[in-house]
Parts: sequence; structure tokens; C-alpha cells
Amino acid sequence: MDRIQIPATSRSPLVDFDFAAGHLLLRGESYPEDAAAFYGPLLRSLRAYLEDGATPLTFDVALSYFNSSSAKALMNLFMPLEDAAQEGRPVTIRWLYAEGDDTIAEAGEDFAADFSHARFEMVQETAA
Amino acid sequence: MSGESLAPAPLSRRGGSLRGAGPLRRGDTLADLGFTEVPTTQDGGADTMRPGALRGAARGRNLDGLAHALFLRLFPVIAAVVLATQVVIAWVNYADQIRLYGERAQMMADMTARALARPGWTHAHGPQLQALALDPAFRSAVLRDAAGAVVGRLGDEPRGRSFERIQVAAEIEAGPAAQPAGSLTLVLSAEALRANAEKQFVMVLAASLALMLAFGLTLRLAVRRHVLAPLARLLSAMGRVERKDWVTVDLAGSRRPSREIADISQAFNRMVEGLRSGDEARHLLAELERTHARLAEANGLVMESLGYARRIQQAVLPGPQALRGAGLEAAVLWEPLHVVGGDYFWIEEIDGLSVVVVADCTGHGVPGAFLTLIVATALDRILHDQGLRRPDAILAALDGVVRARLRQETKGQDGPGPGTGGSAGSDDGFDCGVCILDRATRSLHFAGAGLALTVVTETEVTRIKGRRHGLGYRRTGREEALAATILPLSDGQTFFLMTDGVSDQMGGASRRLLGHKGVAAILDRHRDLPLDGQVAALEAALAAHRGPEPRRDDMTLVAFRPRGR
Repeated sequence: MDRIQIPATSRSPLVDFDFAAGHLLLRGESYPEDAAAFYGPLLRSLRAYLEDGATPLTFDVALSYFNSSSAKALMNLFMPLEDAAQEGRPVTIRWLYAEGDDTIAEAGEDFAADFSHARFEMVQETAA
Repeated sequence: MSGESLAPAPLSRRGGSLRGAGPLRRGDTLADLGFTEVPTTQDGGADTMRPGALRGAARGRNLDGLAHALFLRLFPVIAAVVLATQVVIAWVNYADQIRLYGERAQMMADMTARALARPGWTHAHGPQLQALALDPAFRSAVLRDAAGAVVGRLGDEPRGRSFERIQVAAEIEAGPAAQPAGSLTLVLSAEALRANAEKQFVMVLAASLALMLAFGLTLRLAVRRHVLAPLARLLSAMGRVERKDWVTVDLAGSRRPSREIADISQAFNRMVEGLRSGDEARHLLAELERTHARLAEANGLVMESLGYARRIQQAVLPGPQALRGAGLEAAVLWEPLHVVGGDYFWIEEIDGLSVVVVADCTGHGVPGAFLTLIVATALDRILHDQGLRRPDAILAALDGVVRARLRQETKGQDGPGPGTGGSAGSDDGFDCGVCILDRATRSLHFAGAGLALTVVTETEVTRIKGRRHGLGYRRTGREEALAATILPLSDGQTFFLMTDGVSDQMGGASRRLLGHKGVAAILDRHRDLPLDGQVAALEAALAAHRGPEPRRDDMTLVAFRPRGR
């Protein structure tokens, strides 16, 4: 599976889905005009990747803002991950948020409630 | 002779008269040469840089005429000088020959006289005189004695003009024995010499003429080839450039121009390139301006259309009279990101109850606005047709109606839904908060789906979170059950329902979202202001937090409290 790398724009996050290394990353802000168009291809690739193999997977999500459509899209990305974890694949989702950013931290806690098989870690990033 | 050395000669002689041939300066050279200049422009050519000024000159008459006149003038002068020189040389030559001839004749006479000087020469002179006659130029010889009497004669008497003959005399000295004195007169013809001189003169004349002709032709040809032809091409190119036909001149090859003209041509080519790129830039700029105008027009139409849409959306929202309703004091902040938006609110008095609803639909702009209309219609039916009054029941009913409207009933359906181009199909919905304020029981019933109620009292700010339950979306099976919270009303309470666009304000020194706590702090700071003032202060504080950052979302806030305390 090819690696997906999309540079960040002002309205969409940096995407680095390195399937071979089992490492996925979203970083930046996410409020594209059409979230379905942006996240649709990512979701399809992720599903295709999850269909075979059981290598461990880590998904880093480091968003400083996302709109409700993006939240929905994130949920859609998380669901197959949780299903894969249920089937035995080690899956870790690391929710990175800036120190003191309660909004993003709360959103992470909300997402965390959806996971029972995949590991969901809240990781506070201190300003460098 | 090369053109390089030839061409400048006649030109420099006229003191840069070449410029006079062109239209750039009205030189006096042509007038000097007897040419009357044809005005190239209507005003007599005073404005020589007018468009079209070059075309008259480019016909070529002036250039050719100048060259022609130059050669007509030059040729006789040079021919006369060369000819005179040759004639003088021939004359000197001729005179020399005459002198040499004379000396030779004298020597012949002297030798004959010496040979004759012996006794009895007056009788025996025949062989000597006949020897003289062997000279082809010989005409006559006369032998006289001392008394002057002719003793011998050979040849004819000299006739004709004196310059055609050479006459010399030699004395015969008296000898010892029977040798009387006498004289010999010898006449030689100079006709051969004259004929020779004439022939030489004719040859010199012919040679000079041939030379001059060759010189003139070569000169003219060289000037034509290396000056006039390149100039003519340059002028025709200038004419075409005037008509914005961006041609350059290539003077390389057989028609090699003189260096000055080559320099001018290069400068001309650079100028044309500059003009061409300038012209292209102008065209591009004009095209850009046209495109910009079209875009501005299109944008204007879209904005006009959006403005109209905003009026419609505002008409669906409660008007000012609803805000001044009987039981409720309320203030509203409704600010779509793009003229219209996905935020919706409703305030109404029904059966002694105050209903306050705030909804945040997915997306903003026109798509969000469409959803708000669906929500508004659904809410109207639920409140008035179905008569629901419990907030959690209202939310559940809204959820069902909107999902049905958007045909998003199927759980886990991933294929594109009908009528949607989205790759994941239609999966849209909204967050919503509903407050029912019952003054009779002095209680407030709140139910939220993804939307919280903020309560500001004199001592604290509390936030009652809604349930994690998106409305209208396809069901995920993970929704929390909707439930209502009942709050007893007490004095000093102010309630706020707001969409996440209010707290999701990117900005500040650390460039992060303001968050609920930030908003709560702002509300707490201004809690003693009238509601309108609180909303205005919040809006100002939000703008201050954003700074240069743009807003990310629609934002709506409804502040309300029971009236009449």
C-alpha cells in the first residue's frame, strides 16, 4: 500500500499515512469546505489497508481545530480501527493536544469513550 | 575594394548627409543636391515622428536619389582630376620626346657633317646623305657651301606646320686641303611622335574612363548593398512595427551592412523586443483585467444571491418582536461565516412556556443554510402539530424527522446515497440544545445533543453538557440516550445556548482555541451588563482573541433570562 502524504493547507491538516511502517498522522487544522471529499479517500485507503495483515498500527491525531464535519470524518476513520482492534490487531490512537487546550482535550475524551479494544492515549504536547 | 572602406567615403564627405535621406531629420542635403523633398506628412513633415511618417520615406526614392546624386557629382570631379593629370603627364612626355628627338637629329647631323668633312666633299656627298635617308623620320637634308649655295639636296622641301618637323643644322669645318667650309641642314618629321602622343592620350582617356566607371559602379554597388539595402529593410521593418507587427531585421548573410547600420539594426531589434514584450504584457494585463471584471461580476452575482438568501434565512429566524416576547428577556448573536450559515435558533412563547432552541448544522454557507430550513420546518411541526413540550422528546423528534428527510435511516450504509455526489454518501446532521422555561413551576428543562447550556449566576458559571448524540446523522449505535435536565429558576440566573463556533476561536499568543472556559470567563466578566451589552462585549472579546486569524465557523449565541423579577 502506497504511503499517503498530503501537505497541510490553512484549512486541511498534514496527512502522512505510512502504512508500511504502521504509522498514520494527522496534524494541523481541519475545516475543509467538503470534509467528505477530503477524508473519503483516506478512509478508503485505511479500510483497504486494514483488510489484510495484523501488523501493529499507531494513529497520531494532532489537530488544533476541526469542525463538526471533520469530527464526523474522524469518527468514520476511528470506527474501522476499533473493529480491527477487536479482531486482534494492536491499534493505538494517540490524541495529541496542546497544553491547556481544553476544547481539543475534551473532544479527545469524547472520542476515547468510543474505544474499548483499541488503545486511546491522551498525549499533552508542551509548547516547544 | 571592400564595401567597408568604400562606403563611408562619399558619406563623410557630405558631412553625415545620410541622415538627411531618412525622415528622422529634415536635412538640407537633398536641397543642396537639387532635390526637392517630398513632404511625408500633411503638415509638411514638421511632426516627423507621427505614425505613418516612416512609410513615405520607405518607398525608396529618397535613398536612391541621394546615392544617384552623390555619384553624379563625384564622378565628373574625379574624372576631370584624373584626366588632367594624365594629360599633363602625356604633354610632358611628348615634350621630352620632342627634345630627345631634336638631340638625336642634331647628333645625326653632327656625325654626318664630321663624316663629310674631307677634301672634295662638295662633290662626294652622296652616300652620306643617303645614309641619313635611312632614318624613317627623315624628310630632307640640304648641303650648303660657305657662301650659302646649295651643293647637295636629298628629299622634299619641308612643308606643313613647323611643330611637325625638327630642323637642325651642323657646320662642316674647313679642312687643310681642298676642304671648304659649309653647313648641313637636316629636317626630320615629328609626325610619328605626335601620332604616338595622340594614341597615348586616347589610351589614357579610355583607361581613365574605364577606371572611373569601374570605381563608380563598385562604389554605387557597395553603397547600395551595404548601406541602402539594409536601410531600406530597416525602414520597411519600422513601418511594420508601426502597425504592431513585431518584426526584427536580420541583416546577416550576403547583404552585410556597414557596422553603423548593423549597430542601429541591433538597437532596433532590441527596441522591437522591448516593445513586443511590453505589448504582450499590456495584452496580458488587459486580458487579466477582463478576467478580473468577469470574476468580479460573477462574484457580485453570487454575493447578491447570497444576500437574498440571507434575507430569506433571517425571515425564518425569530424577528425582534419575538425577542421582546412576554415572558423572556433575550439577546442574540447570529453571525454566519459566509453571509448565510448552518446555525439556527428559535424563540417562542407557547402555552405559557418559553421555548429556546439553538441548532448547529454540519457545514456552513449555503449547504448549512439548507439544513437549517429542514430543521426549522421540522421544529415547527413538532411544536405545533405534534405539540411536544419536553425538550428531550423534541430532540428525538427532530432527529427522526431530519434523518427521514435526508434519507439517512440506514445504519452503517456506506455507499453513496441517492442524490448526493459525496463519496461517503449523505451523512449530515446537527447539534441542538432545547430549553423549555416554565414560569409556573419556576423551572427550566434543558436537553442537549452535542450542545451545552451555560448558566451564569452571581457566584459562578456552570456548563451543562449535552449528550454525545448527533441528530439527523446516520446512526452509529454509539449515541448516548437523550435526557432532560431540570433546573429550578432562581434570581440572578442568565442562560446561554451557543454553537461551538463561539468557543472555537483560534487565536491568542499560543494560537489555540478559546474554548468553553475562555468563553465562560468572558461571560463572567460582563455578567452585570444588560443582555445586549453582554452579547456585544462577548463579540468584541472574541474579535480581540482572534486578532488577525479568520473565524472558523458560523457562530450563534442566545442569551436569555425570565422577565419580571
